[in-house]
Amino acid sequence: MKYLPTIGIECHVQLCTKTKLFSEVDNDARGKEPNSCVSPIDYALPGMLPRLNGEAIRFAILAGRAMNCKINLHSRFDRKHYFYPDSPKGYQITQFYQPIIGAGYVELPSGTKIRIEHAHLEGDAGKLTHFDTYSLVDFNRVDTPLIEIVSMPDIHSAKDAHDYCKELWRLMCHAGVTYGDLYNGNMRFDVNISLAPEGSKELGTRAEVKNLNSFRSVERATSYEIKRQSKLLDQGKKVVQETRGWSDAEGKTTGQRSKEEAKDYRYMPEPDLPPINLSKEFVETESAKLPLMPSDYRSAFSDAVKPDTLEILLDYPQLMQKLGEIASPSHLGHTSLRSSVPRGFQGRSAKLMVLDGMASTISLISNLFTSVLLAEEKSAEYLNDLPSAKDLIELAEMNEKKELSSTATKEVFLKLFDPQMKGRGTKNIAKELGLIQENDLGALEKIVDVVLAKPETQKAQNDFKAGEEKVIGFLVGQVMKESHGKANPGAVQKILRDRLSK
Amino acid sequence: MKIANKKVTAERLVKDALAKAKHFADYNIFTFLNEEGAIKKAREIDAKIAKGEKVGKLAGVPYALKDNFLSPEGETTASAHILQGFTSPVTATAVAKLEAEGAIMIGRTNLDAFAHGSSTENSYFGPTLNAFDRERVAGGSSGGSAVAVALDIVEFATGTDTGGSIRQPASFNGVYGLKPTYGCISRYGVVAMASSTDCIGFFTKTPDDMDLLMSIASGQDSKDMTTLPDYYNTELERSHLGHAQGRSPKLTVLDETSSSSISNNHKASGCRVGIIKDFDNDSVDAEIRQALKEKCELLKSKGHEIVELEMPSLKYALSAYYIIVPAEVASNLSRYDGIRYGFRSDDSAVLDDLYDHTRSEGFMPENKRRIMIGNFVLSSGFYDAYFLKAAKARTLIIKEYEKAFSKVDFILTPVAPNPAFKLGEKVNDPVAMYLEDVMSVSLNLAGVPGLTVPAGKTKTGLPLGLQLVGPRRSDKNLIEFAKELK
Amino acid sequence: MDIKREDILHLAELSEFTLSDAEIDDLGEDLKGIIKYISQLDELNTDQVEPTYQVFEMDNVWREDKILPQEAEREMLLELSKEDQDHQIKVPKVL
Repeated sequence: MKYLPTIGIECHVQLCTKTKLFSEVDNDARGKEPNSCVSPIDYALPGMLPRLNGEAIRFAILAGRAMNCKINLHSRFDRKHYFYPDSPKGYQITQFYQPIIGAGYVELPSGTKIRIEHAHLEGDAGKLTHFDTYSLVDFNRVDTPLIEIVSMPDIHSAKDAHDYCKELWRLMCHAGVTYGDLYNGNMRFDVNISLAPEGSKELGTRAEVKNLNSFRSVERATSYEIKRQSKLLDQGKKVVQETRGWSDAEGKTTGQRSKEEAKDYRYMPEPDLPPINLSKEFVETESAKLPLMPSDYRSAFSDAVKPDTLEILLDYPQLMQKLGEIASPSHLGHTSLRSSVPRGFQGRSAKLMVLDGMASTISLISNLFTSVLLAEEKSAEYLNDLPSAKDLIELAEMNEKKELSSTATKEVFLKLFDPQMKGRGTKNIAKELGLIQENDLGALEKIVDVVLAKPETQKAQNDFKAGEEKVIGFLVGQVMKESHGKANPGAVQKILRDRLSK
Repeated sequence: MKIANKKVTAERLVKDALAKAKHFADYNIFTFLNEEGAIKKAREIDAKIAKGEKVGKLAGVPYALKDNFLSPEGETTASAHILQGFTSPVTATAVAKLEAEGAIMIGRTNLDAFAHGSSTENSYFGPTLNAFDRERVAGGSSGGSAVAVALDIVEFATGTDTGGSIRQPASFNGVYGLKPTYGCISRYGVVAMASSTDCIGFFTKTPDDMDLLMSIASGQDSKDMTTLPDYYNTELERSHLGHAQGRSPKLTVLDETSSSSISNNHKASGCRVGIIKDFDNDSVDAEIRQALKEKCELLKSKGHEIVELEMPSLKYALSAYYIIVPAEVASNLSRYDGIRYGFRSDDSAVLDDLYDHTRSEGFMPENKRRIMIGNFVLSSGFYDAYFLKAAKARTLIIKEYEKAFSKVDFILTPVAPNPAFKLGEKVNDPVAMYLEDVMSVSLNLAGVPGLTVPAGKTKTGLPLGLQLVGPRRSDKNLIEFAKELK
Repeated sequence: MDIKREDILHLAELSEFTLSDAEIDDLGEDLKGIIKYISQLDELNTDQVEPTYQVFEMDNVWREDKILPQEAEREMLLELSKEDQDHQIKVPKVL
């Protein structure tokens, strides 16, 4: 029997604010010692009260706008109660009754639209490490700001589940609200999957696969569940409503013994935090800080950049923003809003357009980005500090004017990222490396004459005159050698031909 | 309260206070005596005074700290087993402000565990005795603090008031006790009971002392996002009066220039004082009602007007209170699990037992009642019928006070239905104990300030107290007007 | 409403309490009485009344995103726990 899978996804995004959601300690615990980023508030001493981080509100507005969501002017926090050592307060501060982000949608590269039900702010939990007779508790992650994004059940295939998660990741990275470091759990996905016979009205019983932290595991876990549930249904068995875990190694999901079903979180309005009542003006001002989104680049670069190249580059907001600057210098981009918005930043307020004559430049640079920069093993560190748009534009011009051969262009391009060379200007670097092609005819003619005067070229000259075309290559080579590779081969051949045809 | 004059040293004051504390040891007032720390601080202050250096407004003044305020001096236990062994690395904002002015904490005072109670009998350390009758309760939850001031051991004591925990023990022991406007004094570093009604306040022997303490402790705190910008010291307290039907202000400043103790240069005249008819019945002790009548006569004789008010919603305040507060209590007490601090039950091989055993052994019966009631009113299926319903009732109670204060400047009511009762009389009957709070909780639900003013004694010599209530932010007016009741 | 033994046990579980039989009986009685009392609210008409969760006139109170030194650092905090190891708190194994 054929079944239609119905899939909804909850995604937790860790925000890259400097400090935690409710305390002024470092929010970036990556590579830091256990419990080194913990305040008396995170540790939940008696009498400690949450201190709301305003930046998290601003980030929530950006994240919401990135997903075309309505921003709710009135929101507040609630307490969700459960006992576990990763929750020092005995409750999580979240937004259950009045979330800050309302309905919206995410458009996949395929054009499919996935509706967002809502998204809310909440604090993350701590981390437990289990040993056979005991467990160790680390509170570093306690109350790291999270946005939980709840999709509508609009997804019907493992591939769309994958694409949705990846697009969410891109949106959040382009919006600059997260480091987007999946390896460190900056984004985690819970996937709800249910099957119903094709054509049937009501949905089947759903199983939830929790805590997936890569797009690939989302796709694999989803297809596994679809297979598992179809099999059960084919055998006339029932799907149990439960939470399941995913093992990447075994490539399978397994039911988790958990009180989930019995759980009663006793949600209650958070009395220690005043409500959030935003003005339209505030939301507009903050929304205006949203940088260009993938959809903006897709429409602006559709002619200049090959679709598959573009989709690769969209994984790197900083590269896209650089291309944006090149396309129209007014579009000053900035990756993370943790730094204040740079002067001249326009975000989405001005539509991105490729200025006349810039298309070829965009095309060349985007190809260099994919074929050279991303292939380079230092690319990771290079990505953090890109050369100026001016340098890249100059590089394209020199390539256009044949002052740089395609090989030389690639070589100079990489040097623009090299900390040693950086900032010296494209021309100077090309000069220093002696890669500028000799295009001055006068100078070339002199060199050609020198070569033609050499006895070892006499035979070849005679052969050419006798009609042996291919020897021209030998002569060009000689000239190139004489010019130490700086001569423009095309120009050289031209001069040789009219010299020898006399 | 100042000792600017060198006649008496801080060391003398502190040693006397400590001596008295020991003398009254059998009243079970203190959970901890700060002997070394207090004497050390006193000597530092005396040294400063000797050198002619500037000292604070409370330099050398001995005070008692309710044991639910966090500070590194002594264990902070909230008189609960589950916090035994907890010495706080942090200091409550209120404590920091008092100590910055030179006040010296000589001891931590007993309370009902986690402030759950109206008699200080629910304490892990046993009950505190009433200052005037050792067979009777001190009231609660701030019983230790009230008795410490009543027995003249200290000049003042701190308290917390979630539903009457300052005002009722103050009336049981014949001292002044103020529950300020919600948000007036920072709750940072005070063991939370019910976050939306908890207020920090004081016990004193005079209104002027209360005024001085309020001028020091009030104000906005970045560590408590529910604190109001300082209005106590900055706003013209007059502005709060007279919105009673737009009549002209009642407190007239005689001397604009004078500074700190503004108290001395105001005089109240022709205020409208409301009394609540709904409380004038047999549910209230006859002697208390008599005391209220006498005070009304006194006020009339001083040119004030007495206005009868009907506030029918108030009779639902107690039900609403015992839904909202247990809910917040259950939530706020979730953090006591034996994992990070305080008492941890040893015989736990698995985590579930650690929670169960620690919390079962660590909480008093009344703590357990309130936690379970709280979890009941919040649990799925009951939230709307109980918690949400109570939150709506709260709105009606607030409106009723707003209506009342459009007619009157103050309201004068009993604090509790009766004077101090016998030890053991109500401790096993939770509802009877809750009824102690029937006239005090509505203020906490509405966030308005209330000041207990001593009002004579019963024939048998038990103190009587009345409660002066004003609109939000009228704390200073309450303290001023209390003088009219002398 | 009627409070049965299993209701008490459910509330005890939500509260992480293990109750002796005596406690179950006593608390059961107490809770019945308390719930009977607070149920008086049913009389009160609250149609078209908005709920109040806080008596605090202010809103939008938030701080700037700036790292500040804390009143107590890691060692002072961990010192308060019964058992720690490798800068982490040690707890019995989770079943």
